[in-house]
Amino acid sequence: MDESTLIARVRAGDSAAERALYDAHVDRVYRLAFRLAGDDALAQDFTQETFIRAFDRLDSFRGEAAFSTWLHTITTTVVLNGLRKVKRFRQREADIDDAHDIGVAQRHAEPDLKVRLKQAIDDLPEGYRTVFLMHDVEGYTHEEIGAALGVETGTSKAQLSRARAKLRVALSDFAGEWTA
Amino acid sequence: MMDQHEDPKFDQWLRDAAKSYHAPVPTPREEIWKGIEAARRNKRVIELRPWLRWAVAAAAVLVLGIGIGRWSMHQVSTPADTRVAERTRTTTEIDSLAGVAYQIAAMQYLSRTEAFLTSFRADANRSANTARLASQARDLLTTTQLMLDSPAADNPRLRSLLEDLELVLMQISLLNPVQDGHDRDLITQGMNQSNVLPKLRSAIPAGPVPVRTEGAL
Repeated sequence: MDESTLIARVRAGDSAAERALYDAHVDRVYRLAFRLAGDDALAQDFTQETFIRAFDRLDSFRGEAAFSTWLHTITTTVVLNGLRKVKRFRQREADIDDAHDIGVAQRHAEPDLKVRLKQAIDDLPEGYRTVFLMHDVEGYTHEEIGAALGVETGTSKAQLSRARAKLRVALSDFAGEWTA
Repeated sequence: MMDQHEDPKFDQWLRDAAKSYHAPVPTPREEIWKGIEAARRNKRVIELRPWLRWAVAAAAVLVLGIGIGRWSMHQVSTPADTRVAERTRTTTEIDSLAGVAYQIAAMQYLSRTEAFLTSFRADANRSANTARLASQARDLLTTTQLMLDSPAADNPRLRSLLEDLELVLMQISLLNPVQDGHDRDLITQGMNQSNVLPKLRSAIPAGPVPVRTEGAL
């Protein structure tokens, strides 16, 4: 069954078609949610919310773009909004912890590449990080990223370039690894 | 032409190295699907969304109307029977306003609770400050109990959701700071089994509703 027929059946209230549409796309949605969130519980929540919204708003999908593009627009919106909310909540927690920890000396071990890379990616501005993960890690094209994030293809390319430049500076201690 | 930052060797090395960043685990398809089904089933019954925006706008108009009405009553001398009719109408309008106010308060409370429980579940394996979590849960629990006693709980589905939340928040508020790992796991399992978060999300407006102060999830 092709996708447009499947979507028509979902619109008509066919629950088996809903499940088939879900099965066809859930892996990619969950992968992207997990890459961006880095947490199974959050990735599950975001994936669930993405499909709930997609099924609710399916009537607004006119088929001008691919269904997967439309779905990934919802995914990025849900994940980025959700992460902002969790970040705000955790920041409030951290602020209170910092207030309690004044005067307590912190020791940091010298991190290895994996830890430094994670920190460097986490520290990227949200837009750079999203484009970098979608393009370089998950293999989305700039056209797909532009459509999902609602930006021009050129903006996506520029953000990727800046993300790589920032990461290069942050990881300069490991330069021997890529120049060898 | 090559960009000033472009370095094919670095780009390739970075792509390979970054594969380990938040490397995904296999998709828990069935768990996610159960959550979707539960939320959509629940959503068909709790439908507060479309009218809420109109209700907020209507409330603003009513407030303005009541204000003008009261101001006019002081300005113009009217016969006694007209004043009684005016007073009755004003009482009805205030009752409507109170209903809307309860719904707005309910939405704000549900948004805050959703943010709290989402973070609690995501932090279930971290060493977050248990005493503070318990304190926040107690604050939300007090609001839950007030909501249960308010007209907002007249909707049976909303009441059922509030009762589920009351149970979860009570468990979190009683967490023991000394040995809370096992208790947290049990609370998280209970939340997953009863689909509290999907039900909660389905009761919160997803769009740019004024009461959604924490942003849309």
